[in-house]
Amino acid sequence: MFTATVRGMLAHRLRLALTTASIALGVAFLAGTLILTDTMKLAFDQLFGKVSSGTDAVVRQESAYDASSGVGLSHAPIQASVLSTVKAVDGVAAASGSVSGYALLTDTDGKAVLTSGGAPTMGYSMPADKALRGDVNLRTGHAPRTSHEVAIDATSAEKHHITLGSQINILFRGPTEKFTVVGTVGYGSEKDLGGTSSAYFNTTTAQRVLGTPGTFDEIDVRAADGVSAATLAKRLDQVAPKGAEAVTGAQVAQESSDAIHEEFKFLNILFGVFAGIALFVGSFIIWNTFTMIVTQRSREIALLRAVGATRRQVKRSLLIEAALLGIGSSVVGLGLGVAVARGLNALMAALGFSLPSTSMQINARTIVVSLLVGTIVTVVAAYVPARRATKVLPVEALREATPGARPAGKVRAAFGALLTAASVAAILQGLYGGGGGNLVLLGIAGTLFGVITLAPLAARPLAAAIGAPMRLRGVPGDLARQNAMRNPRRTASTAAALMIGLTLVVSMGVFASSLKASFGTILGDSTKADLYLATSSVQAAGFSPEAATAVAEVPGVSTVSATGYGMARFAGEGGSYSSVDPATVEQALKLDLKSGTAKNLGDSGVLVSTKAAKAHGWHVGDAVPVEFAATGKQDLRVVGVFANKGYLGSDYAISLAAQQANEGDSLVSSALISLDKGADAGAVEDAITAALASHPDAKVLDQKGYEHEIGGVVDQLLAFVTVMLLLAVVIALLGIVNTLALSVFERTRELGLLRAVGMTRAQVRSMVRWESVIISLIGAATGAGLGIGLGMALSQSLKGDGITAVSVPTLQVVLYVVLAAVAGVVAALGPARGASKVDVLKAVVTD
Amino acid sequence: MTVSTTTLSTRTAARAVDVTKTYGDGDAAVFALDNVSVSMQAGQFTAIMGPSGSGKSTLLHVLAGLDRPTSGEIFLGDTEITSLNDKRLTLLRRDQIGFIFQAFNLLPTLTAAENIVLPIRIAGRKPDAVWVQQIVETVGLTERLSHKPSQLSGGQQQRVAAARALASRPQIVFADEPTGALDSRSGAELLGFLRNAVRELDQTVVMVTHDASAAAYADRVLFLADGQIVDEMTDPTADAVLDYMKHLGA
Repeated sequence: MFTATVRGMLAHRLRLALTTASIALGVAFLAGTLILTDTMKLAFDQLFGKVSSGTDAVVRQESAYDASSGVGLSHAPIQASVLSTVKAVDGVAAASGSVSGYALLTDTDGKAVLTSGGAPTMGYSMPADKALRGDVNLRTGHAPRTSHEVAIDATSAEKHHITLGSQINILFRGPTEKFTVVGTVGYGSEKDLGGTSSAYFNTTTAQRVLGTPGTFDEIDVRAADGVSAATLAKRLDQVAPKGAEAVTGAQVAQESSDAIHEEFKFLNILFGVFAGIALFVGSFIIWNTFTMIVTQRSREIALLRAVGATRRQVKRSLLIEAALLGIGSSVVGLGLGVAVARGLNALMAALGFSLPSTSMQINARTIVVSLLVGTIVTVVAAYVPARRATKVLPVEALREATPGARPAGKVRAAFGALLTAASVAAILQGLYGGGGGNLVLLGIAGTLFGVITLAPLAARPLAAAIGAPMRLRGVPGDLARQNAMRNPRRTASTAAALMIGLTLVVSMGVFASSLKASFGTILGDSTKADLYLATSSVQAAGFSPEAATAVAEVPGVSTVSATGYGMARFAGEGGSYSSVDPATVEQALKLDLKSGTAKNLGDSGVLVSTKAAKAHGWHVGDAVPVEFAATGKQDLRVVGVFANKGYLGSDYAISLAAQQANEGDSLVSSALISLDKGADAGAVEDAITAALASHPDAKVLDQKGYEHEIGGVVDQLLAFVTVMLLLAVVIALLGIVNTLALSVFERTRELGLLRAVGMTRAQVRSMVRWESVIISLIGAATGAGLGIGLGMALSQSLKGDGITAVSVPTLQVVLYVVLAAVAGVVAALGPARGASKVDVLKAVVTD
Repeated sequence: MTVSTTTLSTRTAARAVDVTKTYGDGDAAVFALDNVSVSMQAGQFTAIMGPSGSGKSTLLHVLAGLDRPTSGEIFLGDTEITSLNDKRLTLLRRDQIGFIFQAFNLLPTLTAAENIVLPIRIAGRKPDAVWVQQIVETVGLTERLSHKPSQLSGGQQQRVAAARALASRPQIVFADEPTGALDSRSGAELLGFLRNAVRELDQTVVMVTHDASAAAYADRVLFLADGQIVDEMTDPTADAVLDYMKHLGA
C-alpha cells in the first residue's frame, strides 16, 4: 500500500507542487521567524559581549526591579567618590566611571545625523584604560582627550562625510556644544552599534554633557591577572555603599542584550502570528485537496475495499500520504525559511531596525518545531477527508457514480449560526455592555470561525448572486456559475482561505484608518495648541528640552508646553505615564479637570484620569504608590483628576521635573505651542523654524502637518502588516489554482463533451476563468464585509484608549476586492489552459 | 474490396476520400482505417457495423471531425474538414453536426431542456422554439424538461442527447453506440426515434453499432473489417445483418 501511495502522489505533479507550496510557505515563515529570533539573539549577545569584553565587573546602584518586568531598566547614578573605594580593592587592575546619555550628532552643515528607525543616538564616556574599552576600538584618529574633542562611530562619519578635524555641533539634553572630531570608532569589525549613532567623550566631559558632574552611571572594573570576574564582583560588592551592587561584566552584557531582545520580541511574536495565519490558511487547501482526492478515488478505494482492504488500511494509506506530504512540505519550508529570515531581516532593515550581522542560526529547535508543526497541520487537515474515505462502500466500485456534493448538514448550520450569533453578541456586550476588550477579541475570533462553519451553506446562494451578471457572458459564464454552485463545500473552503486573508487585511485597514481619523480628532478635541513641536525623525524617541526652551523665546510665542512619557509601576501595575509642565499644561491641553489643578504637581504630585481614580477610589490629596526602576518606591499625591486623556494617552501625569528626578536622562516627546493673540501664525512659524536651525532634533508642525506625520507612521505600519498578511492571500490563491486544477481533472468528460458539441477553446478557458473569479469574489466580498465589521468592532473597543473615530477606507476596500477578482483570473490561467486542451476523444469515448 | 455507393441523384451529407488512420509508426503501425472511401447520403439512416477493432468507431470519429485522419480527405457537405484549424472545426461541429455518445452525453448541472439547447446557446443563438418543441414531443420528454440528468433514466438521458443532437438542425447526426448502455426496450425507443427523425423530419443519421437488431433500423448498413469497408446492405433486416456478421466472423 505504501508504494501505491507514493506512486499516486508522484502521478499528480501539479497537485503535489501546489499542496506542498501551501504548507511549505507557512512553515517557511515559521522557520524564518525562529531563525531570525535565534540569529538576533546571538548577534546581540555577541555584540554586547564583545563591547564589554574588557569589563570584568561593574559597580552600580541597584535597580528597583529588573528588565524582565517589562517596565524598562534603569539605574540611578552612583557617586563619583565610590571610584576611589573601588580602586583600592585588591585585585582591581583598572577602574573607570562610565557615563552615557542622549547625544545627537550634527554634520558639518549643522544637519542632524538621524539614525534609521529611531535607533538611539547616544553619547558615552571613553575610558582611558584601553582594555576597559573592550571591543570598542578606534579605527582612525585618537581617543578624545580634551573637553572639546569627540570620537564618533565610523558609520555616522562615513555616511555624513564627517572627516577628522572637522568641527560639529552635538545636541544634548542641556545646551548644544561644539566639538572637534578626533577619531572614528568601530566595534570589532562593525562600524556601528546595532544601528545607533555614538559619540565618545573623555570622562569629565561626558559627566558634564551627558550626566551630572560628581556622578557616574556605573563604574567599570578590570580584574588583575589571576582574579576571576566572579571573585572580583564578590569583593567589590562587599565594599559597595548601601544601595549599590557589584556584578560581573558578563551579566551586564547579558542584561543589555536581553533588554534589546525584549524590545524586538513583539516583532518575533508578530511574525509568529503571521506564520500561524499562513498555516491555518494552508490547512484549508490540504483539507480541500484530500476531500477531492477521496472523491475522485472513490472507485479505486471501493476496489481496494472489495479486494479486502480494511477501513483502517484505507484511512491509514491516506494519512500516510498526508504525513509524507507534510514532511516533504516542511523540509521545503525549512529550506525556504533561511530565505524568509533574510527577507524579514531586510524588511526590518528597510523599516529601520538594523541588526548586527552574524550568520543565520538554524538551531535544532527550529528544525524540530518546523517539521512537527508542518506535518501535524497537514495530517490534521487531512484527517476528516481520510475518515470519510472509510465510508466508501465496496459496491461503489461497480457503480458509475459522478462525484457529487453531499448537502451541508443541519448540525453544521445550527452550530455555525449559534457560534456566529454568540460571537456577535460577545462583541456587542464587550463594546456596549462593559465586557471589555478581551470579550471583543474573543468575539472577533469566534465570528471568523462561525462564518467559516457557515460558509458551505452560504456558498451556493453567494455563487448564484455573484455569478448572476456573468450569465450575460453567455454559456461560459452561465456554466461557470453552475460549476461554482455545484459543490458548495469545495467552493466554500477554497473561498474561505481567501476570506480569512481579506478579513485580516481589511480589518487592519479599517483599524489604521480609524487610528488616523482619531488622531485628528484628538488634536482638535484635546489640545488648544496653535502649533506643535515634534521630533524631526518620526520614529525618534524624543528631542532635547533645549529645543522647547529656544522656541519659547521666539517673539509671538506665548507658551511652549513640553510633554514626555516614561514607564513606572502605579499601584503595583506596570504602565506608562505622561510628564507635563505644571505651569503651562492647562493652557495647552483641554485636560477637562474634574477636580484639582495641574499647577500643584511639583515633584511629588500626580494627575490621574477619571478612570484610574474611579478604579482605585482616589481623590485629590490621596496617596498613589508608585515605583520607579531607578529610584524605587514612593508615594505621589493626587493633585487633580482629568477626564480627557486624549492627547496624553495615559492614565497618569507627573511633572517633567519629577520625571527628571526619577528617571534621569529623559527627553521631551512633543511640545504644544500657543501663540500670542493676534500673532501672524505663518510669520511665527517661520521664526520658529529659524530658531530650530540650531536644534535639528525637533521640527515645528501645524495641526494638519502633525496629523499627516502620524498618518505616515500608521501607513508604514499598515503597509508592513499588510505585506505580511499577503502571504496568507498568496496561499489562498494557490488554493484556488489547486481546486480549479482538480475540478478540471474531475470534469474531463464534461469538458470533452462541451468541446465535442461545439464549445471553442477560448470559451472553455473563459468558463474556468469565470468560475475562478466567482470563487475569488465570494472570498473577497465576505472577507471585506467581515473585515469591515471586525475592524470597526476592534476600533470601537479601543475607544477608551484614544480611538474615538471609526473610519472605513472604502476606496481601499473596493480596490482589494477588484484585485482579488483579477487575482482570480490569474489563478485560473493554468487550469483554464489545461481545460481547453482536454482530448475530446478520450473524454467522450467510453472505454 | 472497396465499395463506392455514390449516386449522383442523392445529396451527399458526408464523404470520406482515401482516408487512412494509423496508430504508431513504422513497423509497429496499426491501420485503424485503410484507404477508406465512402459517402453518406443526406436524408438517410446509415449504420456502420463491424467486429471489435474493425475501425468503425474511428471512421465515425474522423467523419465527425472529432479525430483527424492520417491521410485522405473528409467532406462535410462541400467543406473539406481535415484542413480546418481547431477553432473552425469546433464551430463546424457546433453548427453542422449533432452527437449522441454511448454515455456521458449530458452536463450534470443543466436541466434536460438546457442540455437540449446547449450547442445553440454556446453559439449565442436563439433556439427555434417550434422545432425544439417538435423534437421534444417526438422523443416524449415534455414532462421531463426541468429534470437534471441524475433524475432521468438511462433511456431518457439518451433521448435528451438525441433531442440535443437534432435541436440545431444539423447537416448530419453521428451516433456512437447510442444504445450500448440501454436495455432493449429503451434502445428500441431511441432507435425508433432516430428512424422517425430521418423519415419524417428529413434528418441524416450515421450510427455505429455492433448490434444487428439496432442496425436493422437503418436504411443502409456498411460493414467494416480490418479498417476497410467490405460490404454494404440496403433495407436490412436483423436476421440478414446477423447472418452477414457471422460470415465476417464477428
